[in-house]
Amino acid sequence: MLVLAFLTVYPMAMLLYGSLHSTPPGMAGEYNFDGYASLATAENLQALINTAALSLVKTVLSLALAILLAWIVARTDTPGRGVLEILITLPFFIPPILTATAWAMLGNAQVGTINLAWRWLTGTDGTLVDVYSYGGIVWHMMQYSTPFIFLFVVDAFRAMDPSLEESSRMSGATRWQTFWRITFGLMLPVTTSAFILSFIRGMESFESAVFFGTPVGIKVLTTQIFDMITQRAQPDYQGATAMGFATMALMFLLLVLQSRLLRGRSFTTVTGKAYAPSVTRLGGLRWVTFSICVLFFALAVALPVGQLILSSFFQFFGFYQLDMLTFEHYRSVWENREFWTAFGNTLLLGFLGATATMILGGIVAYITTRTAWHGRRLIDILAWLPWMMPGMVLGIGFLWGFATLPHEIPIYGTLWALLLAYVALGTPVAVRVTSGAYAQIARDIEECSRVHGANWWQTMGRILVALAWPAFAVGWVLIFFGIMRELSASILLYVPDTTVLSVVMLKLWNSGKPETVSVIGLVMLAMVLLFRWVQLRFIKRRISTL
Amino acid sequence: MRRRKVLGLLAAAPAIAASAQTGDWNKVVEAAKKEGKLLIYTASIGSVFHKKVINAFEAKYGIKVDLLEARASEVRERVRVEQAAGRFLGDLHHNGSTTTGLMQRDGNFQPRGEVPNTRNIEAPYEADAFKIPAEVISYCLMVNKNLVKPADEPKSWKDILDPKWAGKILSDDYRALGGGAVFFVVMQNAFGREFHEKLAAQKPSFSRDLQNSERRTARGEYPIYLPFNLQDLNNLKGLPIKAIVPAEGRPYVRFDISMLKNAPHPNAACLFMNHYLEPEQQLVFANAGYNPVIKGVIEKTIDEIRPLLATKAMGTTDPARQDEMLALAKEIYK
Repeated sequence: MLVLAFLTVYPMAMLLYGSLHSTPPGMAGEYNFDGYASLATAENLQALINTAALSLVKTVLSLALAILLAWIVARTDTPGRGVLEILITLPFFIPPILTATAWAMLGNAQVGTINLAWRWLTGTDGTLVDVYSYGGIVWHMMQYSTPFIFLFVVDAFRAMDPSLEESSRMSGATRWQTFWRITFGLMLPVTTSAFILSFIRGMESFESAVFFGTPVGIKVLTTQIFDMITQRAQPDYQGATAMGFATMALMFLLLVLQSRLLRGRSFTTVTGKAYAPSVTRLGGLRWVTFSICVLFFALAVALPVGQLILSSFFQFFGFYQLDMLTFEHYRSVWENREFWTAFGNTLLLGFLGATATMILGGIVAYITTRTAWHGRRLIDILAWLPWMMPGMVLGIGFLWGFATLPHEIPIYGTLWALLLAYVALGTPVAVRVTSGAYAQIARDIEECSRVHGANWWQTMGRILVALAWPAFAVGWVLIFFGIMRELSASILLYVPDTTVLSVVMLKLWNSGKPETVSVIGLVMLAMVLLFRWVQLRFIKRRISTL
Repeated sequence: MRRRKVLGLLAAAPAIAASAQTGDWNKVVEAAKKEGKLLIYTASIGSVFHKKVINAFEAKYGIKVDLLEARASEVRERVRVEQAAGRFLGDLHHNGSTTTGLMQRDGNFQPRGEVPNTRNIEAPYEADAFKIPAEVISYCLMVNKNLVKPADEPKSWKDILDPKWAGKILSDDYRALGGGAVFFVVMQNAFGREFHEKLAAQKPSFSRDLQNSERRTARGEYPIYLPFNLQDLNNLKGLPIKAIVPAEGRPYVRFDISMLKNAPHPNAACLFMNHYLEPEQQLVFANAGYNPVIKGVIEKTIDEIRPLLATKAMGTTDPARQDEMLALAKEIYK
């Protein structure tokens, strides 16, 4: 609890001070509510409405699509689903700025590839798509939230005892009724967690809105916060932190709602009885489901990633002339010493951070789902805090928190500062992933283990962790790649020796080298493919031994 | 041990700074070499030219230079909170003149001591007791040569108000700190509010992703982009674009270097400031498209850049009026 409090409450306390004080920590000022009062403007209200609407639409669409894709991959005999499972998660791991650039080239109204093709095919001057719009923002956000939710729910589908569904069918329910009442019903803890995590992330999304919304005047909360912090002569930290807390309060209401929805219901599907995960035979329909997966892959992966691959071999992004073919971008990454330092630091932080976060998340989830301890709700809330505060505000909280620690505590200016921030940022995902998995495991298996003489640690290792292993693996990968992409806290906490990949990518982007950033993005993608392949092989071996 | 060393350095800092102020430059150079390293906080993210100048310094004096790069407001907040917490880590601060001015007001710097090369600085740029001008970002227009015929190229800033460019201008945002805000202030000072009201009627499209905006214009999404950072011209060599400095001149913004309060390596910092103002180093920036701040450099600049740099400096921002101007921009460009 102390660890959790240090990681979450401490930076939040610094931010709360910032929101209630006319100046940031360390400067003379006075306590007041000016920050909160300044939020009550028509512009901010419009930004709030935009943010909530965009996030809701993208989350609902992503959830529906992700559940469909997860069901296809985990519970049907759709051809090639093993490969599809890896491919449809790829967009989540690509830095958003790269897919945004790719989509800006594909879908701009004037000379976007899609519109040029449309005009050539139809002989008209019309515009088929325009990514600089509400639709463009939603579509770009969906490319991250669909694989994110998919990763959350796919293993829950896989771990479900099909006898429950069979019983439903035997009792006369239709395939749809069975899916809705049994399959979807039992998945509620996982789906609601994924929905809320994704909705909150949507409320805090920045890249999609700033890239596709700002040019057409669409404002959201994060662009307003960004404006307060970086776009004014005198940064308004009081207003920005107050807006962060206001957002957090709204998010908190959602959590209460989820808690009410799940209260008093059982979602156990993994029991002591033997079962074999089965697949639904779709017959000819399996080619329809195959086509759905391929279509998603083509739109969300092949198009933007194809642009990235193509661009990495040309002198300029989007200029595909033979005389501009080059390997220069690969060479420049290979010879960039700072890149390799950052790559090493990021891998180290990724491995340590993801592992530590999953351990912490596993413990927190155990306390909140498997014990009757009085403080468990408080722990659950503490673990949520970093997810509810917009990243760019939380980054400031870490900076204020770590820099003002006594100098005898060697955190600021070291890798520890980054590691602790990453653990704090990843903990909500770790807790949600593992608590969703724990909720599916019957308590009688644990009791059985104890009755047969196993101690608590043995029961934890051989029962709970072993059965929740697929969820642990998914959580680890999500957090690992979250660390690889994290910028808001990194830019405020790194020092030259502890530079990380996201900072190097920002530097390259700002110096007009998007092609080099593409190469780094492709390196990250290659790592994802490797990790996911190893992970899925591992999970399948574990499941086959259960 | 490290803490004792840092405290020792802190205690010695005023004395070292004093030695830098005696005018005995050789002593400063020797003391700088003994210090052996330097940490620079810069808002110039990913600048290869900055690194060239640093490499030359490291090679010449054997002093290792570390760079901490972040956006202007992030650099400012890091310095502020570090100093408030008694952590004096950085030696030099390199940032735009607006942020530098505000930090100077807040007491984040210490007097820089004597820097001999300041005598070569040319007007309108000038040094003061805390800072030296470093390099100058100049802004102009960028056109797509495939979409804008030579006869149609804007010759004056007022030419962009021609109705034929309505809906065809991509621009950095005037309502946020940066090149767009510099452009807004300079045009406001030169032509008044009427210019902006007419430009707003042209419905320019705003984006804060400068490099991407330049690429979008080069790809043909828009025929005109403004304000174009001249130093990006080299990055775009080979694309169908052209930089145009209108007859009235170029808006500009100066970058400054200042010595951070209680800098651990004040002599190395002083030496670096002097190195930055050497003609060879200023030529690195000039060839890259930055205006140099010392005399006799533009003449030696490469042919394709020289005529653009040798244009009239039209004006820059006033830190004291920055927020007022941002508010006015918000009012006009809704």
